Amino acid sequence: MRRASGASRRRGWAALAALAALLAPAMAAAAEAPTRAEYVSQLEGICKPDAEATQRAMKGARSDISAERLSLAAGKFSKAASIFGSTVRAMGAVSEPSADTAKLSKWFSYLDMQESYLVQTTAQLRAGHAIRAQRLTARFIHNGNLANNVVLAFGFNYCSFKFSRYG
Amino acid sequence: MRERPGSRVGTAPRALLAVLLLALVGGVGLARGEQAQRGDLIVSLDGHLSPLKLPREHAAPVAVELEGGLRTSDGAVLPRVSRVELGLPAQATIFTRGLPVCSLRRLDNTTTAKALDACREALVGRGRLQADVVLPNQQPFRISTRLLAFNARIDGHRALILHAIANHPPTAVVVPFRFRHGAGRFGVALVANLPRALGPYPHFSHFELTLSRHFSYRGRPRSYVSASCPIPKRFTAGFFSFARAGFTLADGGQIGTAIARGCRAR
Repeated sequence: MRRASGASRRRGWAALAALAALLAPAMAAAAEAPTRAEYVSQLEGICKPDAEATQRAMKGARSDISAERLSLAAGKFSKAASIFGSTVRAMGAVSEPSADTAKLSKWFSYLDMQESYLVQTTAQLRAGHAIRAQRLTARFIHNGNLANNVVLAFGFNYCSFKFSRYG
Repeated sequence: MRERPGSRVGTAPRALLAVLLLALVGGVGLARGEQAQRGDLIVSLDGHLSPLKLPREHAAPVAVELEGGLRTSDGAVLPRVSRVELGLPAQATIFTRGLPVCSLRRLDNTTTAKALDACREALVGRGRLQADVVLPNQQPFRISTRLLAFNARIDGHRALILHAIANHPPTAVVVPFRFRHGAGRFGVALVANLPRALGPYPHFSHFELTLSRHFSYRGRPRSYVSASCPIPKRFTAGFFSFARAGFTLADGGQIGTAIARGCRAR
């Protein structure tokens, strides 16, 4: 068998070093990526206080709407939208399990829609457009259920959509 | 780390919203109802009031249709359920005055025909129930039963008796549900502690139940279930917590899910 020359050995080492440099960020990310259970636990820690705050903020919103106090209800929806937005941003900052990124990307797009529906509902209530607010509420509920289905296997509690939290 | 751009929905194409709206109108996406998962166990619940259009000011006769159950994400054997609780919508009222009652004794070990012969006047609902039968040293198999729901009184309190009967293998089961009032956001809940008499073999998997009965009391038409759609004049539809299904498992664990539905004002 012919032994490799010094030059070819150097080329071999250089190739290995380049490969290592290429793979290093991916390997580091894989090492950092949490398991699904760790991810769920981290997110639930973020969602719990915010879910409770949402429940407090939305208290009485349904009776406000029943009594046609739309601007009062709008204030509650606005607060809920702001809590929801900050929660989603905090959730987005958490490293994701590498096997779940596609699923979580879909989930986050539903969460963005949820936030948007809350913002739009607030605006329509402020403007006194009851029917438009009602249509947005229907979409909000439907979208929330779709979001839950995407991450069903994660077994979220506080991070899942629950209609009962909204008044 | 995920980048969180601002909301993208504000600029979502109108077509997407139109599709969403169509999906809502058509009920797409609600076929399995709402689901929740704990470990490998998944609970689902779906249902609605029929008709959907109801008066704002007073209750009108309705049927409550519920469907739900348990399944495992990996196809493993279902755990045994020891207690079932079904929360019904707060704006629905159950009226039983003048409605005949049936007893457990009259329904025990009866066929559907004999149960109806004995208690037809107390019939308030129908449905289907499925359970997996897990026998030692055998592959589990599924039984599908017809359900009849009868108005009853147990220990002096209003109750509902479910009579389930399967042809293959011949099986008849009678399960009493008691009414529990003030069940949180739900006006009333039906609660059953599954009797020891059921034995260790049946593992509940799925149910469909429609509660509806029209009858007359003191010359006036009455309905077993009535509901209104109490929303202000400016709105045409309202949304409410419609139902909740909660299951306590034989090992003490619990799983449940709640559903929100809408009504239209007429």
